[in-house]
Amino acid sequence: MTSLDQLKNTFFDECSEALQQIEHGLTDMREGHGSGDTINAVFRSVHSVKGGAGIFGFDSLVGFAHVFETVLDAMRANKLPATPDIVDVLLPANDVLTDLIAMSRAGEAIAPGYGSESRAALERLLGKTGDEADDGPAPADFEGLDFMPIMAGGFDDPPAPAGYRIVFRPKPDMLKRANEPLYLIRELRKLGTLDLAAETEGLPPLAQLDPDRAYIGWTGTLQTDAKREAIEEIFDFVSGDCEIEIAPLQAEPAADPFAGLPEAAPAAEATEAVAPPPLVQHSAPSIVPATAPAEAAAKPPAAKQAATTMRVEVEKIDRVVNMVGELVIAQAMLGQIVHNLPEETSGRLAQILDEVVHHTRELKDSVMSMRAQSIGAVFQRMPRLVRELAAKTGKKVRLEMQGENTEVDRSIIERLGDPLTHIIRNSIDHGIETPQTRTAAGKGEEGTVKLIAEHRGGRIVVEVRDDGGGIDPDRVLKKAREKGLVSPDAALSEDEIVNLIFMPGFSTAESISDISGRGVGMDVVRRNIQDVGGRISVKSERGRGMTLQLALPLTLAVMDGMVIRAHAETYVLPMSAIVECLRPSRADIHNLVGGRGLLKLRGNLVPLVHLSDLLDLGTVNADSDERVVIITDAGDGTRFGIIVDELLGHQQVVVKSMEESYGTVPGVAGATILGNGRVALILDVEKLSDLAVSQTSPFARLGNAEPAGAN
Amino acid sequence: MPIAAALKVLVVDDQNSVRQMTRISLEQLGVRHIHEAENGVQAMDTASLQPLDLIISDYNMPEMDGLGLLRAVRGHPSARRIPFILVTGRGDRELVVKAAQAGANNYVVKPFTADILRTKIEQVMGKLS
Repeated sequence: MTSLDQLKNTFFDECSEALQQIEHGLTDMREGHGSGDTINAVFRSVHSVKGGAGIFGFDSLVGFAHVFETVLDAMRANKLPATPDIVDVLLPANDVLTDLIAMSRAGEAIAPGYGSESRAALERLLGKTGDEADDGPAPADFEGLDFMPIMAGGFDDPPAPAGYRIVFRPKPDMLKRANEPLYLIRELRKLGTLDLAAETEGLPPLAQLDPDRAYIGWTGTLQTDAKREAIEEIFDFVSGDCEIEIAPLQAEPAADPFAGLPEAAPAAEATEAVAPPPLVQHSAPSIVPATAPAEAAAKPPAAKQAATTMRVEVEKIDRVVNMVGELVIAQAMLGQIVHNLPEETSGRLAQILDEVVHHTRELKDSVMSMRAQSIGAVFQRMPRLVRELAAKTGKKVRLEMQGENTEVDRSIIERLGDPLTHIIRNSIDHGIETPQTRTAAGKGEEGTVKLIAEHRGGRIVVEVRDDGGGIDPDRVLKKAREKGLVSPDAALSEDEIVNLIFMPGFSTAESISDISGRGVGMDVVRRNIQDVGGRISVKSERGRGMTLQLALPLTLAVMDGMVIRAHAETYVLPMSAIVECLRPSRADIHNLVGGRGLLKLRGNLVPLVHLSDLLDLGTVNADSDERVVIITDAGDGTRFGIIVDELLGHQQVVVKSMEESYGTVPGVAGATILGNGRVALILDVEKLSDLAVSQTSPFARLGNAEPAGAN
Repeated sequence: MPIAAALKVLVVDDQNSVRQMTRISLEQLGVRHIHEAENGVQAMDTASLQPLDLIISDYNMPEMDGLGLLRAVRGHPSARRIPFILVTGRGDRELVVKAAQAGANNYVVKPFTADILRTKIEQVMGKLS
C-alpha cells in the first residue's frame, strides 16, 4: 500500500466519523432538538468530507458535498429554517453522500447522474434563498478579492502600533502615603493593552525588605487610542510620589493590517517564553533588558488545555491486547510453579505474584477500555435503514434509540451490524403493521421500533422492541409442522413455539419479500450472535409487539473463567454463566431414569447433568460424594446444574478461537492455555444446555440436525 | 531569504488526511521541520512552546477554529509575530476578509497543490531556497 493509499484510507475513516456526526445531527434536528451548534457540527462534517475529497480528487463527492454544504451554510446563517420538511431533504442527501463515499472508497465508477434527485431537491432549497451553489473548479484565489499578502514581520519590523511608552517608578515612600501602585496599573489597563515589565533590581534581600517601602518600578507600553491626558489623569494624584514618563510610540496611527495588534516581541525572545505569559511582561527591550521574571501580580496562567484524545491505529492496540493475553498465560504458568514450591520459599513469591495478577487485570481492563467503542457506531446506521424500509413498505415507523453511548469491544461492534440490521428489517417487515391495520387495532398509525443498549451484569444487552403485531404462535407452529421442523404430535409451550423462529430453514413470510426474504433467516442471526459469545432471546405478545434481546460479552479476548475437572479432562466455564457452585448433600439429589437428576435447591428443583455424560467422557461414578454442582444460567433465565468432579480455580483465561481450524463444535466456545501449558476447552453453557435437553425434548431431532463441524 | 529546510512550520487541521497531504506538499518544497496540531487549542500549545516560522491552519475545526487560532496567536506575547496562512474552502470569501482584519498574512484555498502553496508561502516569507 502506498502512502497515498494509506492517506486515502485515513480520509475515508474520517468520512465514516463525519457521516455519523451528520446522521446524528440531522436526527436531532428532525426531532426538533437541534441547536445552532448541531447545524454547525453537521456543516463542519460535510465541509470536512468535501475538503478531503477535493484533495484526493473525488470530484463527484466534492460536487455533491458542495451543494449539501451550501444548504447547511444557509441554515447556519438562518436563511433557511431547520423545519422537518427541510431536514427530510437533508436526510436522503446524507444517504447519497454515504453512498458516494462508499463508492469512492471501493474505487467504483460513479454514474454521472448519481444522486441527482437529492441534489435537485437541495438546489430547490437554495433557490428559495437566492444562494447559488457554484460548482466550478476550485480557484486558487478568490477573484476580485483584494487581499494583499503580508510579508512576514520576521524579516522587516512592522511599524509600531498606536500607544505610549510608559515608565512608572514609585518613590520609596509612596506606599506610606496610602497610594497603591497596582491600582494605578489597573486603571491603565482599562485604557488598552498594557504590557509592563517590572524593574526588580532595587529589591533588597528579604531580610532587609521593608514592607512599607516601594522598591519596584515598571516600564513598558500601553497600546491604546486614548489621549495622553487620559494617562496623565491617572497619575495625577501621585505625581509627586513617583517618577513618570509617557512617550508616544509613533507620530501617526499605522495604516497597517497589524494595527490593533500588540507590538511583536522580537524573535530572539520567542524561545524564552516557555511559561504561560505573565501579565507584566517586558516587550520593549530597547528600554529595559530582561533580567528577572516579573514578580508583581502575575496574570492567572492562561488555561492550558491539553489534548484529551489521540488517534491510535487499531493494530497497535490489538498488539497490546495480544501481549496482555500472553502475559496472562505466562503469569498463570508462574502461578503454577509458585504453587508447587515448598511454602517457606513460596510465601513472599506468592505475595508478589498476587500483585502481578492484580496489575495484569488492571492492564487488561485498561487496554480493553481503549478498544471499546460506543455502540452508537452501529446504531447510527439504523435510522437510514428504518427510513428506507418504511418508505418501501408504506408503513409509518419511528425509531427510538437509547444507550448509544454504551461501550462495547470493537470486535463485537464490527459483528453486530448485520444481525441488528436483519432484526430491524424483520421488525418492520413482519412486526409493524400497516397504518390501516394499526388504526383498526386501536393503535397509533405510527409504529415504534426501540433500539436499546445497556450494561447488565457484565454483559452488554441490546434490545430491539417493536409495538407491532408480535409473533402469531399458531402460524409459527403450523409453518414449523409443514416444514417438518417439529413432530406433528409435539406439545409445545407458547415460548417454545416463538423460539422456533431461530430454527434453520424457518421463515414465516408468506411471500419472499424484497426486504427480509433474502435467504437469511433468524437462525443465521442467532449464529452470528453466538459466534461472538452472545445469546439471543425473543419475547412476543400477540398483538402488542415483540422484543428481541441480544446479550453480548464485553470482550472476546480475555475472560474470567472457572477451571474445572471432569474425569481426567480439564475445562473452563465462563464465570459470567455461573450462578453458584455448591457441594450438595446426597439427600438433595433425586436421580431420575436415564442417569439424569434433579437437585433440590432452596425449595426449587434444578435439572442436573453430568458433564462426563454430556461430553461422553466415560462412566460416571454415581456414588461419589466428592462431586461439585455448578449452577449455571444459560442466559434466558433457565438454570441447570452441571456436575463436575473438581473445581480447580478461578482465573483469567485468554480465549483462542478454534473455529478456523475445527469449525463450530456445539458446546465448545473456544480454547485456552492453562498455567501448566496445557490446552483446555472453554465450554459454551448455552449450547451445553441445548445438548442436555436434546435427548428428551421435542427438539431432539433439531438439536442433532446440526452436525458438529457444520458451518 | 528563508531556507526551506530550516523553517519550522506548524500545520493545523482536524483531519489527519488533510494534514498529511499538506505535509507532503511542504516536504516537496523542502521543508523538514513540520509540527502538527488537530485544532486551535493544540496549536496554541505548540506555538507557545517552541519557536515557529510559519503556521498553516485550516479554518474549519472543532474546539477553536482557524480564525480563533489566528486571534489567539496575534494576542500571544511570544507567538504573535509568527506568519499565518489560513486555509479556506472555496466558498469562504467573507472569511478571508475577516482573516485579513485579524492579521492573517495570507490565505490559500483548498484543495491546493505544492506549487500554489509555495507561491502563498513565498508571498509571505520571501523566496524559498
